[in-house]
Amino acid sequence: MQIIENSKVKEKLYIEKLDNGLTVMIIPKKGIKKKYIIWGTHYGSNDSKFIMPGENTVTEVPKGVAHFLEHKMFEQENGINSLDALTAIGVEANAYTTNDHTAYLFECTENFYPALDEFMDYVQHPFFTDENVEKEKGIIGQEIMMYDDYPEWKVYLNALEAMYFEHPVKLDITGTIETISNIDKDILYKCYNTFYNPSNMVMVVCGDFIPENLLEEIKKRLIDKKSNGEIKRMYPNEKEDIVQEKIEQKMDVSEPLFSIGIKDKEEIGKEKVKKHIAIEILLNLIIGKSSELYQELYNNGILYSTPSLDYEFGTGYAHILITGQSKYPEKVYNKFKNTVNNLKENGINKEEFERIRKTIYGGYIREFNDPGDIARMFLADYFKGINSFDYIEEIPIVNENYLEQILKNVFKEEKMIISVIKK
Amino acid sequence: MEYIEKEIKKGIEIHLIKNGKFKTNLVAVFLSMPITRENVTKNSLLSAVLRRGCMSMPTSEEINKKLEEMYGASFDNGLDKIGDNDILKFYMETINDNFIPQNDENMLKNSIEKLLEIVFNPLIIDGKFKEEYIEQEKENIKRIIEGKTDNKARYAFDRCIEEMYKNKPYGLYKYGYIEDLNDINSKNLYEYYKNMISKCKIDIFVSGEVDENILEIIEKNEDIKKLDDREPQIVLDIEKKDNILEKEVIEKMDVTQGKVVIGVDINLEDESQKYDVLVYNAILGGTASSKMFKEVREKASLAYTASSSYIRYKSNIFIRCGIEIKNYQKAIEIIKKQLEDMKNGDFSADDIENAKKSIISSIECIDDEQDTEIMYFFGQEFSRNKITINEYIKKIQKITKEDIVNVAKLMQVNTIYFLKNKESIEN
Repeated sequence: MQIIENSKVKEKLYIEKLDNGLTVMIIPKKGIKKKYIIWGTHYGSNDSKFIMPGENTVTEVPKGVAHFLEHKMFEQENGINSLDALTAIGVEANAYTTNDHTAYLFECTENFYPALDEFMDYVQHPFFTDENVEKEKGIIGQEIMMYDDYPEWKVYLNALEAMYFEHPVKLDITGTIETISNIDKDILYKCYNTFYNPSNMVMVVCGDFIPENLLEEIKKRLIDKKSNGEIKRMYPNEKEDIVQEKIEQKMDVSEPLFSIGIKDKEEIGKEKVKKHIAIEILLNLIIGKSSELYQELYNNGILYSTPSLDYEFGTGYAHILITGQSKYPEKVYNKFKNTVNNLKENGINKEEFERIRKTIYGGYIREFNDPGDIARMFLADYFKGINSFDYIEEIPIVNENYLEQILKNVFKEEKMIISVIKK
Repeated sequence: MEYIEKEIKKGIEIHLIKNGKFKTNLVAVFLSMPITRENVTKNSLLSAVLRRGCMSMPTSEEINKKLEEMYGASFDNGLDKIGDNDILKFYMETINDNFIPQNDENMLKNSIEKLLEIVFNPLIIDGKFKEEYIEQEKENIKRIIEGKTDNKARYAFDRCIEEMYKNKPYGLYKYGYIEDLNDINSKNLYEYYKNMISKCKIDIFVSGEVDENILEIIEKNEDIKKLDDREPQIVLDIEKKDNILEKEVIEKMDVTQGKVVIGVDINLEDESQKYDVLVYNAILGGTASSKMFKEVREKASLAYTASSSYIRYKSNIFIRCGIEIKNYQKAIEIIKKQLEDMKNGDFSADDIENAKKSIISSIECIDDEQDTEIMYFFGQEFSRNKITINEYIKKIQKITKEDIVNVAKLMQVNTIYFLKNKESIEN
């Protein structure tokens, strides 16, 4: 196995690509009782249009299939629900779907290998019937309705709606009640066979393990399946412009929720990490806890907690989101724009920059406390073509010039939008 | 892991949790006292005001800059109810010195001192808190209280508790009451603070790569030295549940999905039965193979969320689910059937084993997370008998089906709370 060591955070990553194309990553953690395993496929809600390996025609499936599949994987032909079977041996199992990947996981202290039997068995053996697919529509329907009551979710989706013309990142991961009604077992099998191929999948394990032994145990449990070649994913050509600057929806909230977005372009290679770090630093300089702007907004009762600052990116999309709650979202938006302009004019303050950089470095180190956080981070980063250690390595390289360049190229007024939810 | 406790003054305890497997060190200070209508709003405001500044760092900007200098040390504070007690919680987390590129300062010592200063040496001007901070934080508390309806699932849960404990301490809302804010000012809040800090129970936790020097650092700290012995009045007893008629409360709001919360009273015959209830709850709704999950969500396809939780300091179980509004009666029927089935012993040996395994697995992970570990030891402060993690596991292992059926028979539904939409039609 290839070993990548990071001397700053004092952790090692063992990585191996198996003959069938599956990538296995192991981060051993001495002395931790919790063991965490996650198995992900590079298949998320964005992937509803694609060309299957060996074919020439485009396949298009209803929105929400990736998430529907995630729900249905637990059911087995012998009537057993793998979620129950795993819970029965004292492990906690779960699964989730994002825009670009679907992941199955469990964590435990005891019974890791018996659980691994069940885990690897169910992910490799789908069992869909007309009845079990129909029944799931009720449960997912409830899940969709639950999200309907979350203003936090709505303000987020609306922000994406204001930024993107066509890119599927703007759609609900679950699909809608309408789209899922068109899902049947044949569609599920088709997508399973396309995307749940080992060459499209990655397994990450974190806990107190001897990596070589664990790798052998994983190999033993793999069924015979060949690498199936490239899946061509079709994403629409997204314009650089935004759709509309302002979007508003009424919901029963005590105080408006807002999300300020800045539409950006996806970066390639190592530059992704560097840019991500630079944007994190810039956002903190502009509206972070110790920033002048935040203090001013707090003292004037416009903000009363720090907004969350995020940079999200994937194939064909990238954007910044600043999300919070305020009586006067417009004021926050205008002040934010002014501060960006002032920063562009006056340049970066060296002392502030160094302080924020320290903070962000500390944040990266913290990510390495919990086996679950570590495994999920390596998985999500992997599908974006990133090794999670890169963040720790790249942070000293980011300098003021680079920050100023990103500030100029990304924080453009014509790319900004604001989404508001209010009564 | 090694755990050391030391009472440095009467009512003031230091707890050291030595655990070398983290990247971080975590310091926590907890102030505990009985919760009362008179004080709950003051505590809520106080918690917010203390965060704003102390003598050496009089503004949040200065505090935040200092924290950022310390590689993004994080400071956090909050309020919690444990039984009939109000807890003011303050935390500071720093990365461990081993992971700092230029190691020039003792970050742990630094963070302990900063945190103690924020709690025990607040910014006082002319015998008062800073006027401006009081006014701003009053506004903020008001917003938090008004915002309690924003998260509908959480709101339904809080409302069920409020209905069950009307005019009782546990029914109080931890952020307090808007109408009580008016009478609080910078002067009387400071008077309250001085009195409170001289009487409350104080627990200081330090977790991470720590040694006994930490005890000395804390004991010799100027802010600690000025504190006196005290006789903390925390509430350990759980009141006997009245035998009441089951009550149904229906509220209407702008929701798409209905939220059901059922509050169940448990009159334990013996305190040691709380371990039995833990297993009972895991079978009923504590895991993904529980009755709630299997029967309500999976078989009846009625809900996406369906679970139960056990609040041991009040001896209650709360069953919670999100359902389609028209399915309310059906959901209640199925849930009640689960409670009946538990009483009749209608669960298998496997169910018991699964429940135990899931509980034991979470007990074993207690020391994998610093905050969880701190809360475990702090929780023991509110139990009459302290037990170690190993004893805890043994108690769970010994539980029999009979024990579980016995506690099942003590369950009494107190309140069924339902949050539904405004224009729904009964069926």
